[in-house]
Amino acid sequence: MTELLQNLINGLAIGSVYAIFALGYTLVFSILGIINFAHGAVFTLGAYFTYTLVVGQFENNGLIKGVNLFPAGSPFHGSAWAFAAAAVIGALLSGVVAVIIERLAFRPMRARGADPLLALVSSLGVALVIVNLIQILVGAESYSFPTDIYGDLKPALILHVGGKLVVVRTVQVIIFAVSMVLLLILGYVIGRTRTGKALRAVAENPGTASLLGISVERFIVITFFLSGFLGGLAGTLVSTAFSVAGPYFGVAYGLKGLAVIVLGGLGSIPGAVVGGLVIGLAEAFVPAQYSAYKDAVAFALLFVILLLRPQGLLGRLQIQKV
Amino acid sequence: MRQARPLLALTALALTAAATADKVGTPVPIGIAVAQTSNTALLGQEQVIGARFAEKYINARGGINGTPIRLVFQDTGGDEAGAINAFQNLITKDRVVGIVGPTLSQQAFSADPIADRARVPVLGPSNTAKGIPQIGPYVARVSAPVSVVAPNAVKQALKLDPKIKRVAVLYAQNDAFSTSETGTFQQTAKDQGLTVATVQKFLTTDSDFTTQVTAVLNENVDLVIVSGLANDGGNLVKQLRQLGYKGSIIGGNGLNTSNMFPVCQQYCDGIIIAQAYSPAQPSANNQLFVKEYTAQYKKAPPQFAAQAFTGVQVMVDALKVLDHKKKLGDWELADLRTALNTQILAGKYNTPLGPISFDKDGELQQQSFYVAQIKMKDAKTGSFVFLK
Repeated sequence: MTELLQNLINGLAIGSVYAIFALGYTLVFSILGIINFAHGAVFTLGAYFTYTLVVGQFENNGLIKGVNLFPAGSPFHGSAWAFAAAAVIGALLSGVVAVIIERLAFRPMRARGADPLLALVSSLGVALVIVNLIQILVGAESYSFPTDIYGDLKPALILHVGGKLVVVRTVQVIIFAVSMVLLLILGYVIGRTRTGKALRAVAENPGTASLLGISVERFIVITFFLSGFLGGLAGTLVSTAFSVAGPYFGVAYGLKGLAVIVLGGLGSIPGAVVGGLVIGLAEAFVPAQYSAYKDAVAFALLFVILLLRPQGLLGRLQIQKV
Repeated sequence: MRQARPLLALTALALTAAATADKVGTPVPIGIAVAQTSNTALLGQEQVIGARFAEKYINARGGINGTPIRLVFQDTGGDEAGAINAFQNLITKDRVVGIVGPTLSQQAFSADPIADRARVPVLGPSNTAKGIPQIGPYVARVSAPVSVVAPNAVKQALKLDPKIKRVAVLYAQNDAFSTSETGTFQQTAKDQGLTVATVQKFLTTDSDFTTQVTAVLNENVDLVIVSGLANDGGNLVKQLRQLGYKGSIIGGNGLNTSNMFPVCQQYCDGIIIAQAYSPAQPSANNQLFVKEYTAQYKKAPPQFAAQAFTGVQVMVDALKVLDHKKKLGDWELADLRTALNTQILAGKYNTPLGPISFDKDGELQQQSFYVAQIKMKDAKTGSFVFLK
């Protein structure tokens, strides 16, 4: 019973991060029909941006070693609200980077009518450049956020259930709550607002949307910005829970995010949420002594589900009229 | 006939070039194949710093009897393919006399046989897994095997807290050195009469350890032993402490780096670490190395930098002996590589690690080992305090 409860808490926390990370993938896929492999690098950048705002400097290696952004102390350090502001700014900056990536890696390909596979490879190239740039600037070290970033919140709630421990980390609660709020907001924006309708129209048929007066290019930029924002915020959430685990730490999440959107159904926003939670829970329920195999379990689950439902959990089968 | 002359001249030129290409270049090229990218760069960048420092230090003191050395760096990344590629480039393109590298034992098992077949001496700067020197006659290491270093830490932990009875062991199962090290730790724990209550696995790429930590907390252990690398190990320690574990912690060789401080911050405090290198080692050579390194980098040299420095120093000391026999510029490259390998194994060296030599397999013979405990001054700055 305690193990079930513990796994459920762990799975929901990490699954909700997978979900908001995968939403960024899904948004771009639903509009352009391509996978943006640079999304993992944007996720990493989000964490680094927020860390820079909260701590102000990187002390160990890299070109900007010792450069202090806030010699008098960071205004983003010391309370939960200050940290939240840093996280939002970090996510906004990630959104801007995603827009730049769209300009550099995707738009030129689209203009030439290139195969989507070329855009995918191009985004992979951008991802590697970003990751290596991070390493040149700040080194390969991991950095942890200061332990008091949420103010005086206790690091964990420890429950004794039937003589066994159940541990709920504060950061897990924050991650889950923030993710759920974000998903609701995004659901509302896409489902109920004019912008959302326009986005859905572009996703459905860019040509027709353009004829109806919708600026397709503008909405592609909005999509990339939203995608980068979500990716960057996911990066911050994960790194507050664990650490800013070096320039490459987004790569594994990139692969996991890909599994999530395939599992949920390519292009399906509710599918990304369900897929994220399913993969998170599947990983959490791998017994502790075998937890090193959790990635293998997640991908094996993906394989089994795709055998049963090739369109993913909430995806729609493509019907071709002949 | 007139047309044939330039052709003959070109052919002669090419043959001369081929003949001189087999001679040893000056400055004498020594290959450094370590991880400058990927997750492993965390350790590799310390080795780059140590090797660059060695180049500057040695050349400032006249190099090899007046001939300067030139280090040729090739990035191995964190995987086997990268290490193989780096080794091949150093051997065939850069024509180095010997190689210091790679960073990981896992990479060494794949890349070292290539150097061995090409008869190029290799010195592993941080390969501590079982079986590395046995890869071939051209493979040696300046990094003490875990089987020698790790038991000291367990004994020291018991000295600090004789009441320790139950142990949890955690290790990164995707890393050859960690899996090798954990075997030694588990055996040592049993030999010391301790109960290994739980063994948990993780990956070096993991950052969420809630599952493992909860399992450890439920076992009521007095000691946790972690074999991993700085990122994952630091994170694991942080989460153990955050979730309420109060007992002793031993970190393996992968945690023996100040790069862990920004990860586990004040939670690093108290970790016991077995070391193959300590800045406190009293030899005159080490104290000079520490003084100059600290002056340049504003911190004491970490183990991985010291071992990379030692790797370069051993190559240079062996080359000095060969240069006395016959000037390095007169050697054929292939002959020098073979002679260098023989000389490396024959020599005795005074290095920052203390006095070292090698057995016939290329296994390191090191006299001094150390156990340190991490003391954090605040959330950012800490040091390894030498335990007597």
